[in-house]
Amino acid sequence: MIRLLASLSMFGLALPAFAADTVKLAITGPFTGGSAPMGASMRDGAKLAITEINAAGGIQVGSVKMKIDVIERDDEAKNERGALIAQELAAMPDLSGVIGSVNTGVVMAGDRHLQEKGITKIITPAAGSASMTQWVGKAQDLSIFRFAAHDGIQAAMVVEEGINRKFTKVAILHDATNYGVSGRDDLQREIKKQGDKLQVVATEKFNIGDKDMTAQLLRAKSGGAQAILIWAIGPELAAVANGIAKLGMTAPLIGGWTLSMSNFIDNAGKNGNGALMPQTFIEDPITPKVKAFIDAYHKTYNVKRIPSAVSAAQGYDAVYIFAAAVKQAGSPDTHKIKAALEDLKDPVPGVIAVWKQPYSKWDPKNVETHEAFRRENAVIGMVQDGKVVFAHEEDRKRLAALAKIP
Amino acid sequence: MSIIAQMAVSGALMGLVYALIAYGFQLTYATSKSINFGQGELVMVSAFFTLTLITLGLPYWLVVPGGLLFGAALGLFVERAGVRLALEQKSEGWILLTIILGLFLFSVAENVWGRDDRPFPTPISHEPIRVLGVDVTPVELSVAIGVFAIMGVIEVFKRQTLLGKAFEAVSADRDAGELMGISATHTVMLSYALSGVVAAVAGILVSPITTVGPTMASALVLKAFSVAVVAGLESGFGVVAVGMFLGALESIASYYLGSGWREVPGLLLLILALAVRPTGVFGKAIIRKV
Repeated sequence: MIRLLASLSMFGLALPAFAADTVKLAITGPFTGGSAPMGASMRDGAKLAITEINAAGGIQVGSVKMKIDVIERDDEAKNERGALIAQELAAMPDLSGVIGSVNTGVVMAGDRHLQEKGITKIITPAAGSASMTQWVGKAQDLSIFRFAAHDGIQAAMVVEEGINRKFTKVAILHDATNYGVSGRDDLQREIKKQGDKLQVVATEKFNIGDKDMTAQLLRAKSGGAQAILIWAIGPELAAVANGIAKLGMTAPLIGGWTLSMSNFIDNAGKNGNGALMPQTFIEDPITPKVKAFIDAYHKTYNVKRIPSAVSAAQGYDAVYIFAAAVKQAGSPDTHKIKAALEDLKDPVPGVIAVWKQPYSKWDPKNVETHEAFRRENAVIGMVQDGKVVFAHEEDRKRLAALAKIP
Repeated sequence: MSIIAQMAVSGALMGLVYALIAYGFQLTYATSKSINFGQGELVMVSAFFTLTLITLGLPYWLVVPGGLLFGAALGLFVERAGVRLALEQKSEGWILLTIILGLFLFSVAENVWGRDDRPFPTPISHEPIRVLGVDVTPVELSVAIGVFAIMGVIEVFKRQTLLGKAFEAVSADRDAGELMGISATHTVMLSYALSGVVAAVAGILVSPITTVGPTMASALVLKAFSVAVVAGLESGFGVVAVGMFLGALESIASYYLGSGWREVPGLLLLILALAVRPTGVFGKAIIRKV
């Protein structure tokens, strides 16, 4: 026993010395359960970028090249697991940064531990507004960044799409998680902001694991809803789509980007066709770089379709932005990386866009300083026969132009 | 009016699944005064097993019996591993053991099949049809038909065959049955096998609607407990009636009171039933002579 303890403590002592020539990057997210398509795709996209960087010798840090060392943690989309993992990561002395988180609740439970220690974190693909707005007016300095089109942008697009399609009566459906509830609030705010052109005839919620949505949908139907605005994740979205078909309703689903998750598309089958959602990336080879990324993902993970293409692309680009910050900082020190992220000098070519100064110095009054995505980075996608495609053909050119390497 | 009818029908059809799982409790309770607290996991693992047979490309007429046999085998496994020794020692150990076996099966399912919800392909159509102003899908109707068919077959078996009569004899009086030359152990085994088959039927019927995942039965089995308690553990007719009533009540409540209140009327009903008729609405009060 004593010998075991001794060897353990020696191992512990030896670790920092061993790790000094690598950049330690933690990737966290739900790799199992209902949110897994997003978490696992984000992880796999990020690891694709890390493999590429390491294969090229690593990141140029000062005079040496440092490889990225990955630490993976599965938060199972559970808030309490997320808090534990954040505490564990915050206690690591030589951690350079964290990329990940899918669920807004997990972010809310965990990020304060990282912020206390000033550990740089790039949130992706969690989109719930509260993840970043929780710091507004509270944090004077912030080490948390977001790399996803937040729900404020998404809700605006969803409402806009509803108005453009000449709908006047809609129902809002959402799940009872932090994500669903904050999505509902965003939608209500946006409807008001865009001139109250949509009348909300029913606002209904459901729980994770619910399969029978008849009651909620009948309330929408009897109110005369022409479209269902929805904020939830894959399995329950599929239950809603199947319920719509069962009740013979024609109202389309328009909602958060989660309508592109594979477990929605697969479980809803043809009932999922026509669902509309904001996307930052569509699995369509619009530029050579995008094609190379999609092909590499398919080949490396042996799939024909990325389970959540948005998550994979965001994970991939986030790693490159992080690596650019490490290079500029000239150090794997997480505080220096944070400072570099707030003032990235060189543009970072990614698969979603060429990122020019995605972040700026944190302003406690303006959350946009730590948000990378703007309205122009997102398009409306549509589910069609098991795939997500561009809903508006002209968007294809727009995204390709953003991702064009000058 | 048509909305109440729609809600009642959708709810009652789901309620039949609660009833079928509750019927599985009744079968084993009749012969051994024990129930399998891991019945939900039997439903789930049988559904996963059947899904595996489907993905292997076997035809449906082979897949369904395969799933049922697997359910029976699981039932026998639970009886042997969790119930028999406890009963021989007249202890209540089966309560803990069946819970543990359920957790064990849950972990097995997570490791073998993963934690994701998966669609369950079925040859039966999901296209809604309109019956008397109410939209139902053939898949939902298949649940009703399947539940009544399997319960009917088992009830006829209990009444008309020699083995079934032995089953009834042990249910009525275990010691007297043994004196008549009926092996109580074998009868208990039979009841657990039947209970496993019933669980597999429930899994196969409900999966096309709910998808298959490790947690698919956790909500169902809680409702089934309510149904079994309210109806009592003796009456097959009782569980069907109470199951349909509870299902309809839930969905009507979620329409009129809001979706957050869905479970409340059912729980009130449960408390009321326990307060007024502790043996269940359809249960018989047993007079025990001492």
